[in-house]
Amino acid sequence: MRILIADDDALSLRLLERTLERDGYEVTAVQNGRLAAEHLCRHDGPRLALLDWVMPELDGPAVCREVRQKREQVYVHMVLLTSKESKRDVIEGLESGADDYLIKPFDPAELKARLRTGLRILQLEDRLVEAREDMRFKATHDPLTGLFNRGVIMDLLSRELSRTHREDGCTTILLGDVDHFKNVNDTLGHVTGDEVLREIARRLLASVRSYDFVGRYGGEEFLIVLNNCNLPSALQRAEQIRRAIASTRVQTARGPVPVTMSLGILASTEWGVLPAEELLREADVALYKAKDAGRNCVKVASSHVPPNVPLQSLEEHPK
Amino acid sequence: MQPNDPLPEPMVNVAELLARVDNDAELLRELIAIFKVEFPRHLCALREAAGQENLKNVQKSAHTLRGMLSNLGTTRAAAAAARLEQLGDSSDGTALKSALALFESEVTGLLPELEACVAKAKP
Repeated sequence: MRILIADDDALSLRLLERTLERDGYEVTAVQNGRLAAEHLCRHDGPRLALLDWVMPELDGPAVCREVRQKREQVYVHMVLLTSKESKRDVIEGLESGADDYLIKPFDPAELKARLRTGLRILQLEDRLVEAREDMRFKATHDPLTGLFNRGVIMDLLSRELSRTHREDGCTTILLGDVDHFKNVNDTLGHVTGDEVLREIARRLLASVRSYDFVGRYGGEEFLIVLNNCNLPSALQRAEQIRRAIASTRVQTARGPVPVTMSLGILASTEWGVLPAEELLREADVALYKAKDAGRNCVKVASSHVPPNVPLQSLEEHPK
Repeated sequence: MQPNDPLPEPMVNVAELLARVDNDAELLRELIAIFKVEFPRHLCALREAAGQENLKNVQKSAHTLRGMLSNLGTTRAAAAAARLEQLGDSSDGTALKSALALFESEVTGLLPELEACVAKAKP
């Protein structure tokens, strides 16, 4: 565990440093409060600190106040170590944001025990943060595929559309549906169906840019939001996705399963300012056109053909 | 000193000092080396502040010296430094001089006592 110690007395600092190193700590030693605050406020700074009260530039309580103000995301356990021992000083120290208070000269055994208490608190905090993050992930992601769930992908789409309108850009929606997926479930079972969906999710994520969004929209329906992507580029991307799904069979415990996907595309620039739900309805119409056209193809929902996109590329897509 | 008087407290509480350094002779040598550099510097600042009757600076220097001395198990000298640190704003020059004189007498001969402790720690 890393620990920061701050004391302007070189002798006290060295004694502390050696005592803590012997106890297995990785020690950063500084001789003034300003340096202590700088180290502790870094996002990857130590989370355990032992601070002298009287120090040049910034005293111990001021360091505590600054750290509490600036490093809100991660908790830093701070112990004031000082020869100030009046009740008033103890209260002032704790009120400044310190978690504990030790009187100099420190007793090595007591010091170590107090720091272990700090470590237990930090470990408890780590477990709570982990649990919170786990809950946040579960609340925002589809448990089967790990993709964004429907609520989140819709929020992201709405947010992207707003940004697009503000910046006069283009957001493109791809709505993809696995062809004949019911047959997979009916003939090979739901476990295999799940394996197929997980692999499709993986291929979708591998086919988009890091700043695009992929979500599971429904059972075997996926929504992809391509940010800052115009229609010609989106068409290429959709083709890549279609090929990525169709080109290699999905390996499952029941053997390889051939899978294809039909996709509907909608570029926001073609539709003006409309809510996400309405645009999705149009993308869905395009998706059903792709299904009607024999599946395993891409169709565009476009109110008119943009001048820079060749007509053929909008209508003729390989199956 | 009368036969029934309690023995005076030693300059250095050896057991306490060795416990602080975990009986580590090398660390003790290192601390004494730091003491040799830092102590005269702070003592000089203390004398200067006392000469100017600048109680704020007297308290500051005495505070640092107290911390240093108490880490070395020099209980008597640390107590004399504490007395200087606790001199209030209303203290007169006589109280200051007397407290400084006591402190100086407590630290005289301290270094050899500390160095003698090294031999008692683990090599």
